[in-house]
Amino acid sequence: MVETPKDFIQKEENVIIKGNVAAAYAAKSARVQVISAYPITPQTTVVEKLSEFADNGEMPGTQYIKVESEHSVLASIIGASKAGTRTFTATSGQGLFYMHEMLHWAAGARLPIVMAIASRGPAPPWNIWADFTDVLSQRDTGWMSAFCSSHQEIYDEILMSYKVCEDHNILLPKFVAYGGFILSHTSKPVIIEDQDKVDNFLPPLLDEEGWPHIWMDPKRPMMFGNLIMPSGFYQEFRLKIHDAHIRAKEKIIKAAQEFKQLFGRGYGNGLIQEYKMDDAEVGMIIYGDLALQMEDAVDYVREEGYKVGMVKLRHFRPFPTEDIIGVAKKVKLLGVVDRATAFGSQTGGPVSCEVKAALHGTKDTANILPIINGLGGREVTLEQQKNQLRKLVKFNETGEVPKDTIHGTLWDCLLEVK
Amino acid sequence: MTDDNIIEITFHGRGGQTAITASQLLAELAYEKGFKDAIAIPIIGAERRGAPIQAFTKLSKDRLIKTYDSVVNPHFILIFDTSLLDIPRVQDTIKDGVTLVVNSKDPFDTSKFGKIIKLYIIDATGICIKREFMHASGPILNIPMLGAFGKITGYYDLEIMEKVIKKQFGAKRLEKNMMVAKDAYESVKEG
Repeated sequence: MVETPKDFIQKEENVIIKGNVAAAYAAKSARVQVISAYPITPQTTVVEKLSEFADNGEMPGTQYIKVESEHSVLASIIGASKAGTRTFTATSGQGLFYMHEMLHWAAGARLPIVMAIASRGPAPPWNIWADFTDVLSQRDTGWMSAFCSSHQEIYDEILMSYKVCEDHNILLPKFVAYGGFILSHTSKPVIIEDQDKVDNFLPPLLDEEGWPHIWMDPKRPMMFGNLIMPSGFYQEFRLKIHDAHIRAKEKIIKAAQEFKQLFGRGYGNGLIQEYKMDDAEVGMIIYGDLALQMEDAVDYVREEGYKVGMVKLRHFRPFPTEDIIGVAKKVKLLGVVDRATAFGSQTGGPVSCEVKAALHGTKDTANILPIINGLGGREVTLEQQKNQLRKLVKFNETGEVPKDTIHGTLWDCLLEVK
Repeated sequence: MTDDNIIEITFHGRGGQTAITASQLLAELAYEKGFKDAIAIPIIGAERRGAPIQAFTKLSKDRLIKTYDSVVNPHFILIFDTSLLDIPRVQDTIKDGVTLVVNSKDPFDTSKFGKIIKLYIIDATGICIKREFMHASGPILNIPMLGAFGKITGYYDLEIMEKVIKKQFGAKRLEKNMMVAKDAYESVKEG
């Protein structure tokens, strides 16, 4: 490990920064050793800030690689991670799609890479604004995925993610996603933690030590990713990836607990975060930036006399099946809000599908009302979210399905087509 | 819990007039002064220099701000360029009871808006030209506009501005920034 010059050692500070800058600070605090970058809106300022840190000498020992495409970003990060270094990059929408082949490679090779995603809607029509279809459509690549609803949470979640990914019993890559522009370009107060404290939570990696399954060493040549015959261990490798995902849940819970103890900020149990669900009659499952705003909506609708609550889904992979069943036993009706699409699926929304699947076979669980809103960054106002809650209350009281559902899903606030 | 706990400000400017930076600086100024929470929300599309742009800042003295949505009923509107007042989209944001802070040399008739408003004018462009406070595409209006806003609201003073400007832009640029801020602080008037 290269020592940081005294002037550059991060002391605890409270700064007003953009969500993207919070992601860059997290990578710096985590003492990442290799960054590979290609710009894409709305992520660009993450890697811009990191190049500034690297150029200033604030990240001594960190290699900053500029490449010609997102595919090469992940290819170079995979090489660096294979050599046993802590790696970081960030991307959005089309850039993530271009990485797709390499995403499978990173998970298959069991590399603990952390990648920030400033989510944006897939083209066409061309779109650069918040929509989580980019990260959710990578569901089966073997990457874990977390969603952040505040600027502070971006910083905190990246630190927690390294802890879980690098656990020698897990070794999986992870996305840390947040809404493009809504979080990436707005500015809010964020606490950047003291470097010693971060090192204590997430110890810097030792030089010349690899991951337990891959240790690149010219003195001990190994072959990576070669052909495996159908009679070989391919199926067993796949099972092990799934098994690691399931086992990662308890590690995520443990990391969140440790984080809270050390830094004083809690995020539910790490997998989900409930808000006023204990005496609620109806609830809303929601993720990303809209989850924070929904807390205000819950408070307002409660003032009107309705017992509503909400659950922030913090992780999509691994999916917190047990926690969702627990929540679905508390209330009679759950809305599930997607800012993303899963065309042709049961509900049209990736998370609502997942919630429905999780409840299959368990008795006495809530009915589900899938909701889709805010696609391609369309603004979702506080007022709109209050109305969503009121619709749930009415649906629960009368049993009448809201009139504006299409194929069983509430596509909220559609424009009128003339 | 009511909306009254959150002070909402809308910025109307043209690309290059530094209104987006102003929305961020305002969040920092208020936070530095001891507000509990602040958020700056730029509305980002594909703007070019000179195109109308919009940004918002929300401030709260006593609660966390959890919303990311646009401001529709601002307490204050900062207009960086009087030509924007002819645009219907901009006019629509002017509601009864709002306080307008306009970069203008002279007072002007606000009856065309048909709303009960309070008007302050500040010759921000004039100050920038006088102090040669310019960048490649024109005067740097954010500092004088924020100087005027601080004087009107009392949310922060010149001392806080000095602290934040130093942190953001470094000691080298502090003197000129503060000269401009002070000019605006002293010259803003009711229109």
